[in-house]
Amino acid sequence: MTQPNKFDALIIGGGIAGEESALNLANMDYKVIIVEKDLSIGGKMIHLSKVFPTLDCGACITTPKVSETARHPNISIYTNSEIQDIEKLGENNFTATLLEKPRYVTEDCTGCQICEEKCPVIVEDQYQWNLVGRKAVYVPFSIANPRIAAIDIENCSLCGLCEKVCPANAIDFSQEEKRSNINVNSVIIATGYNLFDPLKIPRYGFGKFKNVVTAMQMERQLVPTRPYNNVLRPKDGKMPDNIAYVLCTGSRDETVGNPICSQVCCMYSIKQAQLLLGALPMADVTIYYLHIRAFGKGFCEFFQQAKGMDVEFIKGKVGLIKEKENGNLILRYEDIQKGKVLEAEHDLVVLSTGILPNTDYSSMFKNINIEQDDFSYVHQVDELCCPAKTSIDGVFVAGTSSGPMDIPDSILSAGAASSETAGYLKGGIR
Amino acid sequence: MMSIIIINSRIDNSMAQINPDFAIELKKFGALDFNACYNCGNCTAVCSLSDEDNSFPRKMIRLSVLGLEGDIDSSVDPWLCYYCGECSETCPQQADPGELMMTLRRYLTSKYDWTGLATKLYTSKLWEFGSIFLLALIILLLFVFFHGPMTTELTVDGGVKLNTFAPWKEIEIGDWIMAGLLSFFLISNIINMYYKIIVKRKDVKIPIKLYFTEIWKLVLHFATQLQFSKCDTELSGKKYSINAYWIIHWLLMSSYVLMFAMIVVFLGWFQTDIIYNWWHPQRFLGYYATAGLTIGVVYFYIVRVYKKSEKSRHSHITDWTFLVLLFLTTVTGILVHIFRINGLPYATYYMYVIHLMVMFPMLMIEVPFSKWSHLAYRPFAVYFNNVLMAASKRINKKTEY
Repeated sequence: MTQPNKFDALIIGGGIAGEESALNLANMDYKVIIVEKDLSIGGKMIHLSKVFPTLDCGACITTPKVSETARHPNISIYTNSEIQDIEKLGENNFTATLLEKPRYVTEDCTGCQICEEKCPVIVEDQYQWNLVGRKAVYVPFSIANPRIAAIDIENCSLCGLCEKVCPANAIDFSQEEKRSNINVNSVIIATGYNLFDPLKIPRYGFGKFKNVVTAMQMERQLVPTRPYNNVLRPKDGKMPDNIAYVLCTGSRDETVGNPICSQVCCMYSIKQAQLLLGALPMADVTIYYLHIRAFGKGFCEFFQQAKGMDVEFIKGKVGLIKEKENGNLILRYEDIQKGKVLEAEHDLVVLSTGILPNTDYSSMFKNINIEQDDFSYVHQVDELCCPAKTSIDGVFVAGTSSGPMDIPDSILSAGAASSETAGYLKGGIR
Repeated sequence: MMSIIIINSRIDNSMAQINPDFAIELKKFGALDFNACYNCGNCTAVCSLSDEDNSFPRKMIRLSVLGLEGDIDSSVDPWLCYYCGECSETCPQQADPGELMMTLRRYLTSKYDWTGLATKLYTSKLWEFGSIFLLALIILLLFVFFHGPMTTELTVDGGVKLNTFAPWKEIEIGDWIMAGLLSFFLISNIINMYYKIIVKRKDVKIPIKLYFTEIWKLVLHFATQLQFSKCDTELSGKKYSINAYWIIHWLLMSSYVLMFAMIVVFLGWFQTDIIYNWWHPQRFLGYYATAGLTIGVVYFYIVRVYKKSEKSRHSHITDWTFLVLLFLTTVTGILVHIFRINGLPYATYYMYVIHLMVMFPMLMIEVPFSKWSHLAYRPFAVYFNNVLMAASKRINKKTEY
């Protein structure tokens, strides 16, 4: 079977923004290729429990979109693949090198997970944000798409057990990296964002104190497919009853090189606080904030709702965290309302980590430079009139590649990117 | 949220008047971009020296941004800060709270000084250097007209007869006049400080007894500078941290105090023509003091030049003046000693005059009006603060019952 190598649009990144733009273009009868570096499409959103401010189930919104994308006849999806370089030959004429990395499992895999049972190697599960372990051969996560196993070759012991037990004979250790050239008429950058690594703020003790977790780790504890089937603190498995949120961890902070607001941390923390009060009705939740930024539609009401549910809001940035012998944590902060430095004890601390740009896109363009803004996001050259337009004609940007934003804004941005791309393909925008 | 916007002044009960132009005045004393502060309180939370009773530095930044001069003048907090630097290192807005506290100490030094000279010396280079040269000129003229015979005859030990050129009895009269002036200015400034910090506070009434029960804090903090050793303790989790900065600062302080006492109180014993053996206290103590001063000055000079730590990253012109004057005083003092015991009369006499020409302006300017004054203001601030704390705790106890 020969694969087509000519498409109307190349979409880099299969998160919610990439899927939305792909679907919009595919529905207009354009041929679209999505290149996703991860093992499954769905991006970050597919891992979330609920979305703010409506408290709708995140997976329930995103999975229909994921399967629609996967099944669309006009969309080709390459997971576990990367775009290595893009050259612009002229208007409506780009070539790109597509790198398909080996998965060591063919598409015959039925996702039965028998190999997973037999595999003797256990490593940290990156899709559960290292809260639990997984095997070296594994289906990434239960709602992954494609739901095909993959072998983590770096950790694999090459014992061959999986190969023996696979009923579909889908294990293939002979796979190799594959490079191919594709020709596209336009490009959409939807590479998304990275989360801030709290190891960069050692005074918060993340990595050293087990009961200091990131908000993404808490998010995983709140989803239906959660690792412990309950909310537990990692050090001793105790159900926490006094949880603290530390806002602006790695956002609005010059010392870590990210002076801008991540736009979502206030709201996702408020959301998690409400969910925690549902999961642990006896727990106290305290949110330490600098300023609550509840600017979107329904956000302020959502914030008031959390207050009404007795989530405590304390204005003051947490300066440092100390650990007690029993695993509880002491937070030192200045209560700005009182003007006094105080210490508070919590049994679980959640760091509301911010959003950082994913700069993978910057090295892809070979013969033409893509401009970055001051904070290394894709520069929007005409932010007010054509928000998806970049410094290269025919290359557009969707979602958090252009700056921190929440899910509704990402979808709006993807809509803008797809319509501007359609206009370009028709010969409109020059 | 209102509490951070409107602060009821401690001085009087009327609503405080904000003064945005205050920043312009404060910047003359060295402050950086403190207006960048977004009031997160990170600086206060990481500070090892701030506690529930004295939460700083954010509050001082707030007062400076609003320009509430009355509250700043009555505040002890700047003196409780030892510029460990963690606040500035971790400030998310890079508003440099540590440098603001340093600036406020300069500002308060100028406010305690009722003569207004300190303000001039801090804010005008012309005044700073003009007065140094004027005072040096006075010393020079005094020597030109009143010096004793410049004999080349040596003592039996082979030393220079310095006391013939500059008899210690006459120099001591000068010393006492200088000490009187220094004490007068410094003590009156401390009284002014006391007035601003305690008398103007209407909300706390202080029983006389407390002034006596808390006085040991004044002695303790003057002698040990214990607060310095508490830097970094919040982050490291230790009770005290023995750091080079503290040790060298203490060495410098003790050497200075020792030297000052030998020069002003025991000049007859110290400025002698006899050459003792090196273990004699006159030489031994003198060596200790000069070594302490040299090590201290060179160390602080190096950290300031290479900006080794947060606290030495920013230097005001007066910081350099102070270090340079202290260094020159030490070096010329050492040279006088070397020339004297080696029997070089003219070199000894000229160096002696230069020594006094540097030392006199250094003491007259730095002790009551500039950086040196912190040797009095810091322990007194700790003392006043403890008195205030003890008094307000008594009030709280009374209201509890």
